[in-house]
Amino acid sequence: MRLVLAVLLEQRLEWRHGYDLLKQTGLSSGTLYPLLMRMTDGGLVEAEWREPAKVGRPPRHAYRLTASGIALALQLAGSSDVLSGREALA
Amino acid sequence: MTKTFPHAVMALALAIVSAERRSWALAMRAEFDVAAVEGGALSFASGCLVAAWRDRLSHARGRFVPGLYALALLLMLPMAALQIGCAVLGLPYLYPGQRGLAGAMLVGDAHEALLSGIYLSAVPSLVLLQLMTGLAHLRLAWVLVEQDWSAALDWALRTLAATIALIVFMGVLFLDSRQVLLQGLVVGIELALIVIVARRHRSLWPTSDVERTG
Repeated sequence: MRLVLAVLLEQRLEWRHGYDLLKQTGLSSGTLYPLLMRMTDGGLVEAEWREPAKVGRPPRHAYRLTASGIALALQLAGSSDVLSGREALA
Repeated sequence: MTKTFPHAVMALALAIVSAERRSWALAMRAEFDVAAVEGGALSFASGCLVAAWRDRLSHARGRFVPGLYALALLLMLPMAALQIGCAVLGLPYLYPGQRGLAGAMLVGDAHEALLSGIYLSAVPSLVLLQLMTGLAHLRLAWVLVEQDWSAALDWALRTLAATIALIVFMGVLFLDSRQVLLQGLVVGIELALIVIVARRHRSLWPTSDVERTG
């Protein structure tokens, strides 16, 4: 979940498609979709149907972080920065 | 073949997604088209199949229908096969030593001559009763997966009645009824399970008495 939060945080205002997230995270669809479902249920991610870029294609589901999702992603990113800083000092 | 197989896997995944997650099924279907263009159709579809199962099994409503199929396939259909097979093959598993009715009739013993006539005349009735319990079991499995609870209860009671008749019949003929008693015990357990499953269905879908869940 950290990875998905981190990827969504990179472009927090952009709507991201599932297949793009798959490619960027390197996760399989069998891992990513259950995560997205749980994160949407938990209010961390919002989903919306977006019109396709190409005519004749079906609408696609797109995702972005909610305010609480951004807060959690920032918190996790901060804690990992602290950890990596400690590792650098050690 | 190379194009149809990923589509078949995807269709299976979408069929497994629960009704509450229908929008997620559509979302996966839309991304499948993109994955197919980029040459990753099969791995994407396989992942969606895993995701659909994981999600379905993660909540009680999703586990309910696979549970019904498991009950039908692992308990009721084997029981039906045993009972029908037993009737068709001349009741071989119904008597101690698995020697069939011939064993029960004490073939070769001194008092065979006294008893064999009575037993032979009883065979058609015993076979018919055993066949009835097997066929009733088949119907029971069918109505169970259709979630027709009143019919399931009805058929379970009929199966139990036929099994009790078989036990009584065999008792009257002084035949060893242990195997039939075991069958009766299993039918009693099935009856209890149907009551539990029907109650569980009512607790999971309290507003729909007649609605089928898929």
